[in-house]
Amino acid sequence: MSAQPAYEPIIGRYVTIEVQGRSYRVFVEEAGQGQPVICFHTAGADSRQWRHIMNDAELTANYRFIAPDMPWHGKSLPPEGFEEEEYLLTTEVYVETVLKLVEALALENPIYAGCSMGGRIALQLALNNPEPFKGFIAIEASDFQPAWYDIDWFHRPDAHGGEMGAALVSANIAPQGPKAERWNTQWMFMQSGPGVFRGDLNFYTKDDSLVGKLGGIDTSNKPVHIMVGTYDMTCTPEDAKRTADQIPGATLAVMDGIGHFPMSENPATFRPHFVEALAKMG
Amino acid sequence: MTHDLRVRFEDMGRKLAEKPHLKRLGALFSETVLIEIDGNEYYLAFHRGALERVTEGPSRQTPWRFAIRTDGEALDKFWQPIPEPSFHDIFGFVKTGRGRIEGDILVLVKNLRFFKEFMALGRPEEAAA
Repeated sequence: MSAQPAYEPIIGRYVTIEVQGRSYRVFVEEAGQGQPVICFHTAGADSRQWRHIMNDAELTANYRFIAPDMPWHGKSLPPEGFEEEEYLLTTEVYVETVLKLVEALALENPIYAGCSMGGRIALQLALNNPEPFKGFIAIEASDFQPAWYDIDWFHRPDAHGGEMGAALVSANIAPQGPKAERWNTQWMFMQSGPGVFRGDLNFYTKDDSLVGKLGGIDTSNKPVHIMVGTYDMTCTPEDAKRTADQIPGATLAVMDGIGHFPMSENPATFRPHFVEALAKMG
Repeated sequence: MTHDLRVRFEDMGRKLAEKPHLKRLGALFSETVLIEIDGNEYYLAFHRGALERVTEGPSRQTPWRFAIRTDGEALDKFWQPIPEPSFHDIFGFVKTGRGRIEGDILVLVKNLRFFKEFMALGRPEEAAA
């Protein structure tokens, strides 16, 4: 018998999509079979945040997890002409990126799962573009979060934005997580391209277009489940509850001992909460 | 209380000197930081990532680059092995209104990992990471 390679089950591939007339080469990781779940990372990071869920044999027996790196993030390239461009993410670009990925990857009735800015977009999709999705898992998600920091700190010629960004987001990581995973979570921010975290935060901290509109989300056929960690200082449990209370039929899970990056910073504690969330999607 | 805190900061300075990675991260950090607890001032003078001296106030003549002002109870909670939410990070003081960070905050942010890890040295050794 010949030796088999000791690969993890996660595979990575590339797909090209067009968003607002521009072409983007997007890196996508995938693992598992069954009900598709498309998983989006936080600002300033990439699909590696989902590595533990995607390597979970019990979950991948019934779910097919698909985790893209958003354009400009991870192994996805920025668009042609990026070198003279100020990256500023918008709701419109983010929503269209998600919808084009679902189409390009031929996903049928996927569950949407997203964290932080990915959670915000879950709510945007649930309100305005629910059709392609089975349901929405919105992690560390709220209707609006104004910045409690100066986002311009993270893109300066005289300092390393990634190192500063990682040191700041460590405020959003709970001390209970394994030390190695807390640092792995920060590493992605350290690696983030120049100006990318700032450009993500521009969207996350300025777009208030959901305020007052959450009551329009129809959860009767498309469940919305919101999850929040007790150590999240950016989207606090109070923020998540305020958000869930405005969505008729939405459910809320508060996770003890977890911060803003649940699936990455403390996978063991996050897992049962995520299993519960998947079950709520029907 | 005030003397105890100065001794504690000095003890943190000794722990700092035993951390090669913090010496490296703080290599460009030569600043005086004001830490004000319950109105009592402590001026921490760093030179190239080493804590050179801790001076108690009050002083109107000691220049400082940035300041952290909070109360003793908040600092005690911050220094617990597993701090409760909002007391696990210096920015938690600000976010919850239990403290303020003032002065040249950009210098703090440029040296944020170094300074946060220094502040965490007040926790029991195994928790300071």
